[in-house]
Amino acid sequence: MALSGETPSRTGLDTDVALAAEGDASAFERIYRTHVARIHSLTRRMLSVHEADEVTQDIFVRTWQKLGQFRGESAFATWLHRLAINVVIERRRSFAVQRERMTDDPSALDMLTVAPARADLTVDFEQAIAQLPPGAREIFTLHDVEGYKHREIATMLEITAGTSKRQLHRARMLMRKHLGGS
Amino acid sequence: MSMHEEWTDRLSDYLDGELPAEECGDVEAHLRECAHCSDVLNELKRVVALARSIEPRPPQSDLWAGIAERIDAARQRSVQPVGRVNLTTFPHRVPRRIAFTLPQLAAAALVVAAVSGGLVWELRPPFPGTAEAVPYERSAAADPAASAADVGRPFRGPVSAADVGRPFRGAEAGGSDARIDTVGLADPQYDAAVADLEKALKNGRGQLDASTIAIVEHNLQIIDQAISQAREALVADPANSYLSGHLVEARRRKLDLLRRATALTSEAN
Repeated sequence: MALSGETPSRTGLDTDVALAAEGDASAFERIYRTHVARIHSLTRRMLSVHEADEVTQDIFVRTWQKLGQFRGESAFATWLHRLAINVVIERRRSFAVQRERMTDDPSALDMLTVAPARADLTVDFEQAIAQLPPGAREIFTLHDVEGYKHREIATMLEITAGTSKRQLHRARMLMRKHLGGS
Repeated sequence: MSMHEEWTDRLSDYLDGELPAEECGDVEAHLRECAHCSDVLNELKRVVALARSIEPRPPQSDLWAGIAERIDAARQRSVQPVGRVNLTTFPHRVPRRIAFTLPQLAAAALVVAAVSGGLVWELRPPFPGTAEAVPYERSAAADPAASAADVGRPFRGPVSAADVGRPFRGAEAGGSDARIDTVGLADPQYDAAVADLEKALKNGRGQLDASTIAIVEHNLQIIDQAISQAREALVADPANSYLSGHLVEARRRKLDLLRRATALTSEAN
């Protein structure tokens, strides 16, 4: 999946980042508008629809505060995305449910049994992601949607790569079921 | 675990190229013979393909207004003067937020209270022999149970908070006339009072033994630290009434401690 904001107007984005780092709120608003869809989608998928708005705002406020630390060693979108994931992970940890989410739950495979409406497969697919057990949803989002490797996910979430693989397979099997698999 | 599950459990790893070569060969051999597992693999491929193709969707409502408001509030805080704190103004940046949790601040207040209480006990005047004249600390010390119960209470000391605004006559040590009238907590008055008391204490320190001086200086250091931390926290959160109260209280304690210490030098004279 391409990182939004890297393709169009690369120079313009760099300029906006530089301007925002100097305190230009208008430039920062342009950055926000370029990236908000991706950041909001990330928070929505990893947390929930109800938390997504608030956490997205937190992420952009944090971004504003930390812009001075962006050295341009990676693409800005990559830097922002990683910052967003850190905020999301902090949020989840703050509710102290990390350990519980990562434990195996055999009953989880029965959670998604309703076949999707075919009219809008993308929206339905998103809804199916939202119904995954939290741990499986988090890893499915990071691995299959965002493209991170198990090793990276293990580091981010402070779990083993083996746990990440098991949760991913669990999530995929649930999604497969949701899409009408036997 | 059924025979199929034994194989399907390895399909995600197979799909992601995470299986060792030997296991890969085993899975491929099984897939050639098992239609069910081949179907599952194809369905998993579809799930992965869909996951990689879903496009980001923006939030249903525009979130910028809320973000702008928070950024603006942070910028306001970064340039709003608090007391006599010299603020470094950055071009745009919200200053690094120094966050103190309420328990941290409460713990700091307790430390100051406990140390101040201990010091006052150390510096207590001779016991006057009348019940009315027994200061609060002495009463508490005479009753261990009451003392323990008081740990969580604000320290009052023999001088109440109301005394802060009353004429002060205790700093006449060392021959210097450090008499101060109507000490308030506004910066100029407060700083002048503190400066006078510090001067009086300096002049009279020869009247105190080394251990008392060490206690006084140690406690002043702690109180100064509490004042400094409260000021820094107020820079980040100027509207926080708890922090404001904490700062006022810490400054009052410093004044109180200086007054007692200088009074002690007078008595020693």
